[in-house]
Amino acid sequence: MADYIVEMKHITKRFPGIIANDDVSIQIKKGEIYALLGENGAGKSTLMSMLFGMYEPDEGEIYIRGEKVKLESPNHATKLNIGMVHQHFKLVSNYTIAENIIMGMEPVKKAFGFIPVVDIKKANEEIKALSEKYGLAVNPTDLISELNVSTQQRVEILKMLYREAEILIFDEPTAVLTPQEIEFLLEIIKGLRDNGKTIILITHKLEEIKRIADRCAILNRGKLIDVLDVATTSTKTMANLMVGRAVSFETEKKPANFGEVVLDVNNLNVMNKQDFRIVKDVSFQIHAGEILAIAGVAGNGQVELADAIAGLMPVHSGTILLSGEDITNMPIRQRTLQGISYIPEDRQNYGLVMNFTLSENLALKDYFKEPYCHKGVLDHREFFENSERLIEKYDIRSGQGSETIVRSMSGGNQQKAIIAREIELDSHLMIFVQPTRGLDIGAIENIHSQMIAERDKGHAILLISLELDEIMDCADTIAVIYNGEIQKIAPADTLTANEVGEFMMGVKKQGKREEASV
Amino acid sequence: MDIIIIDGLSFALPLFIMAIGGIYCEKSGVTMLAIEGLQGVGAFIGALMAVLFAGNFAGNSPVPFYIAMIFATIGGSVFALLHALLCLKFKANQVISGVVVNIMAMALTAYLTKLLNRLIFGAASDKFVLAVSARITIPGLSKIPLMGAVFTNLYPFEIVIIIVAFLAWFVMYRTRFGMHLRACGDNPHAVDAAGRDVNKIRLAAIMICGALSGLGGICFAYSISANFSASIYVGYGYLAIAALIFGNWRILPTLGACLLFGFARSGGYRLVQVLQMPSSYQDLVMILPYVLTLLLLVFFSKQNGAPRALGEIYDKGAR
Repeated sequence: MADYIVEMKHITKRFPGIIANDDVSIQIKKGEIYALLGENGAGKSTLMSMLFGMYEPDEGEIYIRGEKVKLESPNHATKLNIGMVHQHFKLVSNYTIAENIIMGMEPVKKAFGFIPVVDIKKANEEIKALSEKYGLAVNPTDLISELNVSTQQRVEILKMLYREAEILIFDEPTAVLTPQEIEFLLEIIKGLRDNGKTIILITHKLEEIKRIADRCAILNRGKLIDVLDVATTSTKTMANLMVGRAVSFETEKKPANFGEVVLDVNNLNVMNKQDFRIVKDVSFQIHAGEILAIAGVAGNGQVELADAIAGLMPVHSGTILLSGEDITNMPIRQRTLQGISYIPEDRQNYGLVMNFTLSENLALKDYFKEPYCHKGVLDHREFFENSERLIEKYDIRSGQGSETIVRSMSGGNQQKAIIAREIELDSHLMIFVQPTRGLDIGAIENIHSQMIAERDKGHAILLISLELDEIMDCADTIAVIYNGEIQKIAPADTLTANEVGEFMMGVKKQGKREEASV
Repeated sequence: MDIIIIDGLSFALPLFIMAIGGIYCEKSGVTMLAIEGLQGVGAFIGALMAVLFAGNFAGNSPVPFYIAMIFATIGGSVFALLHALLCLKFKANQVISGVVVNIMAMALTAYLTKLLNRLIFGAASDKFVLAVSARITIPGLSKIPLMGAVFTNLYPFEIVIIIVAFLAWFVMYRTRFGMHLRACGDNPHAVDAAGRDVNKIRLAAIMICGALSGLGGICFAYSISANFSASIYVGYGYLAIAALIFGNWRILPTLGACLLFGFARSGGYRLVQVLQMPSSYQDLVMILPYVLTLLLLVFFSKQNGAPRALGEIYDKGAR
């Protein structure tokens, strides 16, 4: 037994209304990368929060290096050389990198021989040396507020290493990173293992596990399903176990049946806050029963385009027609009533009121109408009934049902709530901006099938996504945007993923190909 | 000209030390609107002790003043515990808590002043009469043209304030405690993760604020009014808050703001004298610092360096 550095035995943890962990036992060897795989809300983070001393288990025991321990606080866990990188970084934004790392363990020198002061010079040197040792190049005197997300994450890793952590827990570390940054992070994690550290990786991304993990524990709804050797297991098997049913990697789709034009965008131009033309002369149409997907690398104007159609950004020039009616300068609520559903990219800031209950959030788009509102007075019973119905229909999981504060829900269920609300509006046009970002495979599959079901009902759908796979799977028509301009617009079955990729990079131009063929 | 500088300084420095108290509290992430009340309570306790002990010393002895200063800081910090209790323990809204502390301080000290006057001194009075603090002039330095005024006719408390202010700066920017305190105002979760108790740090910050406010209050009582009465609550505490906001929650720029207020005030008085206006105009001049506040707000409200977590109730579990 001594070769296990961490053992968690028969752990059970209950929260009001939910069993987060149900008799879970895991054993982790020294020097391995151990992945915890599970859907959003499967209890991975809760389990690790207990290992890090943030919660105490209701039942069960924890052994570290063969010794039974009762972890009372993160402080205590730190003393046992356990470190954790949280999903939300715990950094002080107006401090330097070095100040953040040393906080709580500052090197001290004596000013005038007796007054203890923080020795920031020594700290800077120590951090510099530490970051070089592990190949995490950072400049100790940079301010946190000036760093990008991936560097901030490196600071969090350094924080653990500075505290001489041997067991490193990463909570969904790649959720906030770009593909290149993910590559870099995975290399760092491998490097840490090669330095003898034990890594616990919480994730729902199968590719990452396949790439770096040694073993993988799969959780579903709080229960431990299986522990697998990653090398000998296929991603398909892992996915099925994680979701608890057979997952189809391919989206099933009936042939499209186009109706009338629903959305007609003509020569649309949008300026961003810096008065830079970010959407340039964009024109396209979406028919009833069509999914038009806009493909593009992040920051090429696709989000601004969607915002302009939804009314969040003013249109500089050009027109937007919805079912023949000019909505170019209509206020947002008017547009909603005309028939636009909008699933925003930033779900926490634009999609939900985080401190409201689920039932209130589910009525955000029609609370001012009958039956929710009689002559200006809200009817909370209607809110409740509506929300109970949607929770059931869309399988929105939360601690206290309709009364749950949305902030406490997992990201996947927050997104489910938004989608439920927007689909229920039964709008002619539904705009999905990155609907599956940060979600696990089961939730993604679910959202895709809902989107396609809406198409089949005869709604027009505008899908904006950075994931090429998602676009290839779902779209009937693909428009590729680069630098604010539509490079190419064509039926999905006439394009390959490679071609779309080239248009996205701006490498290939519609005009050029025609010239070449002449 | 000299008189403007001398009076301006003696007004600006107590304001400055109260503002530093406010900076401590707000930098730790707790909104501090209670400076007005804290300085009043500080002045009350200080003045009470001064009158109690005055009999033991010669009439012109400076000792009662120093006793008053010590007790003013203690009184201010103990009364600040009320704010700490409401904000940290009961997680009340910090703005409301500040207002409550102010109102309570005003009512309580006015009542106690009358009560104690009757009980202890057998006199029906609503004030504790204090001496005006003696002034000192530093030889040599005061002879420098123009700048010499800075070292002329100083109240001794001005020197104390300068020393305390320097210490406050040192603690905030050079020590571990100061580092943790400032971090609490930006991201308390980071402090918690570093193994420090956020509430303990904030408690300390609130008490320091009370102490420094009390110190400022007793200085006002000893200079401007020469007594303690309810007239100490004329809004200097709020002016200190305005000063720290213009100073962007940084100590040195806040000193600048306080000096500006001080000189605006003394300059206004001088104007009334020079123009030989009726004394009723003095009251009009009293609004000068506040008009200045309004004007500065127009220019400075944009570059706002407020601590990020200011006013947020710290809840470990919140995401």
